Order: sequence, then structure tokens, then C-alpha cells
Amino acid sequence: MRRLLPLGLGLGLAAGLVGWLAWRDGFVSFGHGPAIALPEQGAVAKGRYTNAYFDLSYPVPQQWTTGLDGPGPSETGYYVLSTLVPTDDLNGTILIAAQDTFFSMKSYSDVAAAAIDFRQAMSQIPAMTIDREPSEMRIVDRDVWRVDFSGVGLYRAMFVTEIRCHLVSFNLTAREPQLLSDLAHTLDDVSYAKGKRAASASFPICDKGYASTENILRRVEPKDASGARFAPVPVRVIIDRDGMVKHIHVIHSSDEQRKSIEDALHQWKFKPPRVNGRAVEIETGLTFKFKGQQL
Amino acid sequence: MAKSQLAYGVSLAAIAVMMLGATAQAQNVAAAQAGGGFQRGGGGHHHNGGGNGGHSGANPGAVDPGIRGGAPGAGQPLPGISSDQMNFFTVAQGTFNDVDTPATGLGPGFNLDSCGGCHAFPAAGGSSPPTNNPQIAVATAMGATNVVPSFVTANGPIREARFVLNPDGTPDGGVHDLFSIAGRSDAQGCDLAQPDFATQLANHNVIFRIPPPTYGDGLIESLSDATLQADFDAQAQQKASLGVSGGFNTSGNTGNKTRFGWKAQNISMLMFAGEAYNAEQGVTNELFPNERNNPDASCQLNALPEDATPLTDAAPSASQSADFNSDIVQFAMFMRLLAAPTPAIPLNIPSGGTASASASTTAASTSTATTTDPAATTTDPTAAATTPASTPVAMASVLPTAAGSSTTSTAAAAASSAASSATSINAGLQAFINVGCAACHTVTHTTGNSALGTGATNVTVNSFSDYAIHNMGSGLADRVTQGNANGFMFRSAPLWGVGQRAFFLHDGRTSDLVQAIEQHASSGSEANQVIGQFNMLSTTDQQNILNFLRNL
Repeated sequence: MRRLLPLGLGLGLAAGLVGWLAWRDGFVSFGHGPAIALPEQGAVAKGRYTNAYFDLSYPVPQQWTTGLDGPGPSETGYYVLSTLVPTDDLNGTILIAAQDTFFSMKSYSDVAAAAIDFRQAMSQIPAMTIDREPSEMRIVDRDVWRVDFSGVGLYRAMFVTEIRCHLVSFNLTAREPQLLSDLAHTLDDVSYAKGKRAASASFPICDKGYASTENILRRVEPKDASGARFAPVPVRVIIDRDGMVKHIHVIHSSDEQRKSIEDALHQWKFKPPRVNGRAVEIETGLTFKFKGQQL
Repeated sequence: MAKSQLAYGVSLAAIAVMMLGATAQAQNVAAAQAGGGFQRGGGGHHHNGGGNGGHSGANPGAVDPGIRGGAPGAGQPLPGISSDQMNFFTVAQGTFNDVDTPATGLGPGFNLDSCGGCHAFPAAGGSSPPTNNPQIAVATAMGATNVVPSFVTANGPIREARFVLNPDGTPDGGVHDLFSIAGRSDAQGCDLAQPDFATQLANHNVIFRIPPPTYGDGLIESLSDATLQADFDAQAQQKASLGVSGGFNTSGNTGNKTRFGWKAQNISMLMFAGEAYNAEQGVTNELFPNERNNPDASCQLNALPEDATPLTDAAPSASQSADFNSDIVQFAMFMRLLAAPTPAIPLNIPSGGTASASASTTAASTSTATTTDPAATTTDPTAAATTPASTPVAMASVLPTAAGSSTTSTAAAAASSAASSATSINAGLQAFINVGCAACHTVTHTTGNSALGTGATNVTVNSFSDYAIHNMGSGLADRVTQGNANGFMFRSAPLWGVGQRAFFLHDGRTSDLVQAIEQHASSGSEANQVIGQFNMLSTTDQQNILNFLRNL
């Protein structure tokens, strides 16, 4: 039986290590809430781009590496999740991006509509040829739409799917059609970040309109932040089964605005979310506007 | 016994987890406190060591053709203006070029002594001349005792300087005038010292701005907020496929879209003029009625504001209206009435700025410069602080204000030859749009109903800007926040007239258009993907784009 002691220690230390790794990779937040990843916290490690928020893992092509970092999340909820480039000759690029549909400039009924609209927009660009009309495929149990287009000697493809009310896209560019084809095949190896459906199954239900007046039971306005920006501030919140704010993601703001919004939102209470009578967690969006300087 | 041993082990592990968690939490807080600016999470601006992730290096065969020769393609009034407007334009142009003295309001701190001195090239209303920087001469004019800062050179760009931080570490961001009127024979008694630029440079606390050209600004002012937003939204799909987002700078009071200045921080030409008159020349006016930085009484030589609305017509001119308006109103109206720069060879602008797919399907090839002379252009990639300015890019031929001072090179001559090809230029326009440059440098807008008249009403504006602000990454970051534009963000610079621009980017760090393009890419920049694609183009397509730009 003494052998169980080192086993227990080993398991415990392993759990500790897992916990630390999870924190390091941004999957866990301590303090206000339990494990919540943020969209922008994906990273390349050990040859894979892994994003816990979207529960996806993508193998970086052989002889490719991370490119320059993109900008932080935008005021319309657009994310450059990762850029990948070849290690030697620049003959192609991969841009992994996401658009939060709660805050996007355009809204679509579904991914297909987004792909068709994208195709239309690309077709309006001079010297651009649509090489593959929008077509649907399945990648890791998800509906993905693909559009291919080319111009000025560059061959491009956009793959888009919807995850957690975000349009997540892989944007491939290549100097040669064959390279584009090869890159497209690498998407066949996209997998779940944490094993089959382990995390996806626990995603909150995303509901753009849940933070409506009739669902808000207690509302505390953020204080005007000094040095505030005038632009609206997009915020995602997760509401737990009791209607309490479980997690807050201020997507694009000044530091002062973020603190002001977080301080206020922690005091909000919503009607406990229900779907078909079942208590659920809801992920929804809010936009805050600061008044800025007064006349 | 076995259970207790297991429990003991798990308990130890739990303690370990708690300790790790506590440490992690502490680190998390520290990281959050250290994080400044508007960027959050993993999307910040961290250099990575990722191979050629910088996408650096255009094809070496593509070269900047240099400043376009021939007559200035700018400086004329809007077409179709009335005779009264023309008279006002002419008188106001004179006021724009008038040299101020301490008696008329110059100083006590200033960067130059006239609007037209900075906005000079290729004609009044433009930007830095390629040579003979007037800031050198003004430093000691009339016996002034100024030392020319190291970042101002005879053939470098006209520059203003801003300090990033105050001495106490709080954000500054304001203009610190290069020169003082101290020592001038016409400003006796004032002993205002110049800022200690050498120390500020050593502390990496100085950033620069160069004069933005003002041609066509009346047209830009005539674009409605709704038009700008709609045109921005219309390119949402292309932007999203290129890593581009951005947004507008806005008035903190009204929410209107601001659009003038390097960070789109000014809402109107009048505000632009009033602020510049005060910040660059030290002339107080009805928008900025007080001297800056509370100078000693010995340096306050005039009643304030020094530029005020005249109530008598002391010196009747061809425009009585101009006579009864202040300098800043005249400046603003002069700039409003300036026509858009005219490309040397007319462009085949696609309808709506993005053209139908049938417009043309193949980028035409052109003769490509094969001989390059890197020494013909100079660049200051380290940006900001300590660089002596560059020598000008080679000019293909002599422009009026640059007579006798231009240089030429084989590369420039070859590229210039290519630039003469309308086929290359229009292929370059298509490639410019196709590769994604036009996602931010939006080709076309349409003005609304403008009080300037028919020349500005419902007209197409091909200014090549969305007037939005975009994160341009660590390489261009100036650490100065103005409105919604943080230290990484800049307005998409309107590119019309680029063919006759001597210096590029907000601080004039380069006179080489290729370098100006390449420096759009750095950690955190929205342009990284587009620059990567530009670098993947053939030499011919890259050269077409350069030829197109130098034709503007």
C-alpha cells in the first residue's frame, strides 16, 4: 500500500502542472471566475496553433513558422488570431482571424451567407478571379465554407466557419496554385484543442440579444473613465445559470474604461437563462459608450 | 491506511496546486498592471523571432521612380469656383505664404515663420521641399541664437517635435517648438530657451511629425460622416481577409468623425489652421487665444489674440471678404479651395473605387528597372529619435522649387521611364487594389452638398484613404495618443499627390517609397498581411504599383 503514496503525490503534482500550464496558456483565470479562455489567447507551440476559446488546434505546415503578431482585438470585435509564414522563401501566408458577430459591421443569417457575400466583394475587385465558388465542407464536425480567388499572381482561399458566434477564418495566400492546394489540405488536420468535443460541449450558448432590458434585473452604469475614448467599447460576458456575471471580456478599450466596465458589470444581475426550461449559461455582448469630454 | 496515504498525497498536490495558483494569480495581476495602452491579451505588440515573419524585402528589382518631374500637379484652385472665391483664394494664398515676425505674432516658440514655408512642395499647400530645409535658416534669422537640433538637416524633412512623456512620467504628446525668438533683433528682451532636445533624444522621448499636404482638403471636409462609414463598411470583407480592422477618430464632444492630421485628430480645416498657427508659429488666434507654456512677460509682445477678426479694412485687397477675415479663416479657406492633386497620366479609376471584375484581368508588364542604386535613396529605419535627416530621393527632372538641387540615378531614370507608361500605371492601380493596399487607402469617395459650390459638390474624390485610424505596429508607433488614436495608430495617409512628395511616413523617416511601403509591416500592424502579399508580387507588379503611386 505504501506504493500509493508516491502515486498520489505524482497524480497531485501532475494535476498541479496541468493547472499551471492551463494558467500559463490563458485557459484559466483565477479570482472572479473559473476557467475561461479568451479568443486572442491562442498560440503556436510544438508545431500547432491551439486556441482553447474556439477549441481548435491546427498543425503548422512543415517549414512554416509564426509571422509578425497582428494588432489586438478591434472595436468591432475583429481578431488576428495568428499569422504563419514559410521559414525561408516567402511564397505564401496563412492568416487565422475571427470576427465576433455580435459587433461586426455586417450581420449574416449563417456562414453560407457570409461566404457568398465575401465572394461578391472579392469579385468586385479589379483583376480578381473567383476560382472556386462558395462551397461547403466539413472539417472536424464543423460546417466550413470555402471561396478561392486569385489575382496579380497570388492564389488565395478563405475558409470560414462559425464558432461561439464568431466567424473564424483561415485565409491562405500562395504564389503557386499547388502550394495553395497543399495549404488547403493542411486544414484536414484541424482538430479539437482539448480532445473530441471536450471543451466545445461545455461552451455557453451564445445569444446576441440576451442583454436586453427585460433580462437585466440589476444594472449599474460604469463610471466615466478619465481620458476615456469616445468610441463604443465592445464587451462579451458569460452569464451563469443563476443570472450572475461569470466572466467579462472587454474586447477593445483603454485601461481606464476596462476597469470601469468590469467594476460595474460585476454588480449586474440577469434573469437566470433558460432554454426549454433547462438552466444554461449564456454568452452575450454589450456595447458601452462613454461620453468623453463634456462641452 | 492506504486511503489516508492517498489522501495525504493528494493533499500535498492540492497545496502545490494552490501555491502555483497563487503565484500565477500574483503574476497575472502584475502583468495586468504592466500592460498599458489599448491592447489586451495575446494580441499585443511583442516581437517574435519567427524566421522571416517580418515579410521583409520587396523584390530588389522594384525601385522608387523618385519624385515625378514636370509641373506641379497641385496647388491650383478647385475647378468652377466663382470670381469671389477666386479672389479670396488669391488673397488667402498670399496670407498663407506671409512670413510672420514677433510683431505679427511669431513665437515665442515656433517651428517656422509661415504656413507656406512648411506646406511648400510641390506648390503652396504641400509638404516639405526635398532640399533646402527652411528650418535651418530660420533658426538664426534676425540674429536668433537657436541651435539647429540634430534631427533637422538641410536636405531632410521639415519636422516638428513632440515629447512622449512629461518629466513626471505622465503622457505628454504635445508639440515642443524647435526654436525661440530669443536673440532676434525684432524681439529684444525675450530670453526663452530652446528645449533641451539633445537630452530628450538621449532619453528616447522625442517623436517627429512632418507637414501633411493639404491639397483637396476642402473635398475631404465635404465628405459626410455617413459616407465615410458606408465606404468603410463596404470594404469589410476585404479587410477581414487581410487582418485589417481600424476605426475612426472622433470628436470627444460631438462624436463626429475627425479626419485631418496624422492621427485624424482634427475635425475641420479651421481647427487644423488655428492649432497649427498656434503650435507651429506661436501665433495666438481666435481658436487658440493664449500663448503656449505661459511665457515670461518679456516674451509676450502683443495683445492677444494676435490674429483676430479685422473690423476695419486697413489695406483693401482684391477680396474684401478676405480683408475682413482673420488669418486662420483665410488659411482654412485657401486650403479648402485647393484642388485635388492631378495625376500626370489620367487613371482608369474603377467604378466606385473597386471596379467591376470585367475592368481588366491582367496586370500588364512594363519595362522594369534592373539597375538599382540603393545609395540613391536613404532611409532611417530606426525611426524616431536620433537620425540626421536623409538626402532626397532622386528626381527624374527638375521641379520649380528644387531647381539646381536634384540628383539623378540610373535606377531612378529607368524607373521613371517605366513610369511614363500608362499601361504600367493603370496596371499598378489594379495591383494596388487587388493586393489589398486599397483596403485602407480607399480609392474613391463622393462628396455631399458642399457650401464650396459645384467644384466640391457630389464630386468623386480619389484620395486613396479611408480616413480611419489603424494600428501600424511597433515599427511606426510614436507612443502618442490623440483622441481614439493610441500610440500605435495613424490615419491612412491620403496618397493623392504622392508622386511629388519628398518624404514619407509621419516622421519623414524615408524618401524611398519602397521603404515607406515596407515599414507598414511590424509587430502589431494591421498592414502585415498586405505587405506580405506585396512582397510576394512579381517585380513587374511591384514596379507597376510604384509607378502608379509616383504618377499620383
